[in-house]
Amino acid sequence: MMNEIRLRDIHTRHAMIRFFDGEAAARVEELDERRSRRPWVKTYLLEILDGHETQTSEGLQKLFGNYGVRFSPIDDHLYFVTNETLGEIGFAERLSTRIIALYSALDSNQLKSWVHRLVHSSPDIDHVWLSGVTFGVLWKLVTKLSSSSRFTRLVFTHDSIFDVDAGDAAAEVEDEQGDSTTPQVEEDDVEPIVERRATSFRLVDRVGVIQNKLEILQSNYAPLHAISQLRFPSAVGRGGHDFYDNGRVTNRSESFRDHRSHLLFVVRIYQQLLTSTEDQAWYSITESVGMPGQFRKIVGAPVLVRFQEALNQAVFDEWVNATFGRKRNKFRFWGHPIRLGPTKVHVYGVDRHLFRPLFLELTAKGCTAIIPNGTCGNTIHRLVTNIQRYLDPGAQAYIGDKPYRQIVEESAEGVPYELDGE
Amino acid sequence: MNSTANELVSDPLFQLNAILWLAQPLPVESNIIPLLHRQGFAVYAIAPLLSMPLDVRLIADRQKVSMQVGVRPDVVLENPADRKFCICECKANSFGPDSSTAAQARALLVTAGPRAAEILGLATSEPLVALLNFVVPEPCRPGMTETISVLQTQLRTGGISTGACSAVGLLAADEGISIVVDVRAAEYFGLSVGQNLVLRTEPGNDPRPLYLIPYDPDVEQSANEAAYCKRVLFERVHSSIVAAVGRAQAPCELCFKSHDLLNDATFGMFEHWENRESERHMRSICRHFMGALVKAANSAVPDSAFFEPGNAWKVSLRSQQHSEKLMDAITRFSCETLDLQAEPPPTLFDDLPDTRDDLSQN
Repeated sequence: MMNEIRLRDIHTRHAMIRFFDGEAAARVEELDERRSRRPWVKTYLLEILDGHETQTSEGLQKLFGNYGVRFSPIDDHLYFVTNETLGEIGFAERLSTRIIALYSALDSNQLKSWVHRLVHSSPDIDHVWLSGVTFGVLWKLVTKLSSSSRFTRLVFTHDSIFDVDAGDAAAEVEDEQGDSTTPQVEEDDVEPIVERRATSFRLVDRVGVIQNKLEILQSNYAPLHAISQLRFPSAVGRGGHDFYDNGRVTNRSESFRDHRSHLLFVVRIYQQLLTSTEDQAWYSITESVGMPGQFRKIVGAPVLVRFQEALNQAVFDEWVNATFGRKRNKFRFWGHPIRLGPTKVHVYGVDRHLFRPLFLELTAKGCTAIIPNGTCGNTIHRLVTNIQRYLDPGAQAYIGDKPYRQIVEESAEGVPYELDGE
Repeated sequence: MNSTANELVSDPLFQLNAILWLAQPLPVESNIIPLLHRQGFAVYAIAPLLSMPLDVRLIADRQKVSMQVGVRPDVVLENPADRKFCICECKANSFGPDSSTAAQARALLVTAGPRAAEILGLATSEPLVALLNFVVPEPCRPGMTETISVLQTQLRTGGISTGACSAVGLLAADEGISIVVDVRAAEYFGLSVGQNLVLRTEPGNDPRPLYLIPYDPDVEQSANEAAYCKRVLFERVHSSIVAAVGRAQAPCELCFKSHDLLNDATFGMFEHWENRESERHMRSICRHFMGALVKAANSAVPDSAFFEPGNAWKVSLRSQQHSEKLMDAITRFSCETLDLQAEPPPTLFDDLPDTRDDLSQN
């Protein structure tokens, strides 16, 4: 097992890096020798809600402690992570003010279930949400950063769960593990006949080949906008780093240092994206400059998502009913819809994951969201990710009059891509 | 609950929210065409209290011109690049020069005049271009224009300077809702004279946008529209409570005060309500809603919530399991079960203001 070296015996950052570097090299070696492999080292990027308390080491320990997760400090930003159920889980590192990376070599399913339960039980912890649009921008960076002869992997996932297929209501309910980004292509004797658009496949090819074809393919088949996984080829050897839409990152390279560099690169972009979206989208009433205390003005910008094609009546109804009629719904919203016509509802509700207010207009042509001040920017990224995945893979999003894609592109500008070992 | 577009254009809350949306940044793909934002206008102030200069008040007294000493226009828009300030007042109908509303209109005409900078609290050394703009249903626009002209003449005859004024009409048609602008407004906003489509509607759908300002007890509304706005207010209060309970770590006690709930539901506007009667009315309907919610919560999970007169509603979350049960009860409750058209009966606590602490977790 991985714990030939007990994680609790690792007391320095350097020792942790060496441990995970060794694990990464061993996995590749086992793969080459076709020996039975132990789990890859993987990371979960978690977003913690902005707040003064979580900015300190004590605050962070308290936050995770509330959910039975023990953070034992190794240095100012690195912690050894344990809990009663799983014992030694791995290490957590604060990569930016709001993003925590959880490094672990536990079995994938075990870790996935545990992280899912942790995130779902806490309104202060969320996944990092990488939408298809964000992946589109990251893919452009991959083409600039990697040689065109390197192999990469993209996974596309779109499932029109609201395109009603009788008896398939279970698809609209959130599954236990929360994500199903790995395509299930195996045939199953008990697989039901499902008649709705469902795209789920992985594409492995050279960067240059995909670069030449992807845009053409996307213009012909919209589900190819719904990128749910992307591999950054390793800068220092074979393999790479698989980023999933829910912030999971699997290290399929020989180097943990290279893995961490890629995490830092994407986290810097995401942190910038969070700040930009919140700065622009938060609605609040502030004092006007002219006469403080007397004049109040609204600041903020609505979030708008437009579908490529209008939803038909049945899909629209199913979207509304499944989202607001079920406690466990894919969008994790709560509210009582106010019907304003056959294809229009208003909901003055709550993002049920972060428990923050959220006002929504849903129509057959799209969605408008008002995000009151204090509601986390993650709500926007989760909304865009889920719309691309379950409703319209080619949907266009805007914050105010600015395309969401442009905001992601601007967030990625100037972010350094460098090897940063420790 | 759906209102016809013709009813809507006469509703001051719809008018106000429509104006606010026209000044929001939106892409061309939106159903709302934000003409004012595109022309450089943004919201400068919502319902600001503006006082008449003392010398103007003295002249009005001397000339026996009836004029309010302070006014609170619905919204002031600003175009910083051109230093334009547009004072907007939404009206369900036009009114005559002898009506009680004329005193307010005279004061508004002064705010857009040569003393605008002083009244708006801006540097008087820099010139600005002000316009008073009445928003009315299109059929009322000619009457409104006539009244404005009479009032301007009255004031000028009395030696009181007034500013430029226009009336913009809201018109419902098959393709959506348009604003109808006269020459003066067209020139000021940089729009075409006549109809300008601002809200595209889908067949069968109500054209209203999400309400940024959901409720105002001081405006005249039809019973249907008042009930709709009350529902939006209740939904927003409800969402604040669900958010607070969802975020709480049991065991703990939550404390909800009507002042905080109403402030949350109105983007902080409630604490600026100066009409005592209106404030009391708002507290009263908030208590009505909270009473029903607490009853529903207690019937599912007994003794979980109660009202402490003069203080607040207290909700105890005894354990994680208790908290989840209570959350189920609170989220299942809907204000649709209430009679939104009925006025809540007066209670002994209507005159008790609760303390103004933040929504707190003890």
